[in-house]
Amino acid sequence: MSVNATLAGDAALGLRTSVIVTRADHMQLLRFRGSDARRVLERLCAGAIRARDGQVQHVLLLDMHAHPFADAFLLADDDVYDLLYEGPTAVAMQAHVAEHVPHDWDVATEDLTATHGVIGVDGPFAWELVSRIAGAESVGLPYLTFFHVESFQCIRAGKTGEYGYLFVGPRQQLNDLVTRLQAAGQSLDLVTGSLQVLDDAALESGFFNIRGEGRAALTPIELQLQWRVLFDGDGVGVETLRRHRATGVTARVTTLVAAEQVLIGDEVWLDEQRVGTVLNVVWSVVRGDWILLALLDRGCAVPGIDRFRVRTTAGAVGARSVSPPVLNNASMFISPQMHSFATRGEIRLPPLVRR
Amino acid sequence: MDSAIVEYVARRQVVLDQLRHIIISALHVDRPPEQLDPDTALFGSGLGLDSIDAVELVVAMDMEFGVQLGNDIFGRAEMRTLNGLADLVLRASASAPVAGSAT
Repeated sequence: MSVNATLAGDAALGLRTSVIVTRADHMQLLRFRGSDARRVLERLCAGAIRARDGQVQHVLLLDMHAHPFADAFLLADDDVYDLLYEGPTAVAMQAHVAEHVPHDWDVATEDLTATHGVIGVDGPFAWELVSRIAGAESVGLPYLTFFHVESFQCIRAGKTGEYGYLFVGPRQQLNDLVTRLQAAGQSLDLVTGSLQVLDDAALESGFFNIRGEGRAALTPIELQLQWRVLFDGDGVGVETLRRHRATGVTARVTTLVAAEQVLIGDEVWLDEQRVGTVLNVVWSVVRGDWILLALLDRGCAVPGIDRFRVRTTAGAVGARSVSPPVLNNASMFISPQMHSFATRGEIRLPPLVRR
Repeated sequence: MDSAIVEYVARRQVVLDQLRHIIISALHVDRPPEQLDPDTALFGSGLGLDSIDAVELVVAMDMEFGVQLGNDIFGRAEMRTLNGLADLVLRASASAPVAGSAT
């Protein structure tokens, strides 16, 4: 095993048992200001905009083909909206906004990607580390809300199934913040994370990944993302989505596990019938097997079938469909009001791996 | 597909439809059933259910299916999605999946 692989393994385990800190350079920030800002976001996002001041909303932006364009957290912050997104480049996002927002609407956008960056803190004891930096107030921070601490927005959000926080602030202060987090996290067994670790964790815990299955030219209907769509709205791509729905959608993404390696693009078979294709796959360090996301015919796109075969160049690999998450996220059973990392041995937890 | 798989998928679909009905009628989620994807998170982001809804869900699962969740904190993981709930119901009714466990 290479040094990098070992470090990735440490981070994957750290995410599930303690806390990791990750430079989230894959996230970009676009600020909206003006009397039509909310109206603009209702145009750009597929779903209704509900975030109020201090709240965060998980939103999806579609392109005109109704395929995911950006996966984002929308922050309502006093008189501005901040779109913290991943997927497109900053240039592509600016072009998307210019294409779809009427020029006479009262809105000003400001790309903050060059000046602002993001640090992620994830894990079952992420709250304990964040409280050492952001104060006790952060412990009670509800999911999908944020508050200001020093020059940063501290957001309670993540895509790993564990407690997650995002610090968004000036780039020149990021190194100092990371240094402080590392110092404060020594006693919490803090590990440095990476985008790969976060992406692997997203698949383990059933979160959408725009860099994975999000690039498969599918719509929110196949991707099981309908909760992020207002079907009678007029967001970009929604009309296309309505037409697509009317034609009848015959496939759906489904999670499978396999003991041997498969690759993106491999065919999935059930008995003697080809039923789908692998869209995304990761090696789960914690489980010790492969986690697949496959697009399957609806007739068999359900958990609980263990007769799938994935045809790889090395031969057929058996696979079993499951209900995500494929792990028991410790964060579901850890309470900041009752527990601490120091006394973690006393916490009653289920086995980490769900079989 | 052989008949055992077809039968299992059909049985699972019936349970999912019942669960969708609970989510809409008892928990007042304002979505048509076909828009409630089986792997969508029920709590937090996703459908946005809260701890009060969780209590309602526990009661509804008991009344509708005879599945009791309340005394086992480890049941929380199964409550995260409709598919997780369907796994619970199918296991409780001894309707084993085609082969192997559902999760």
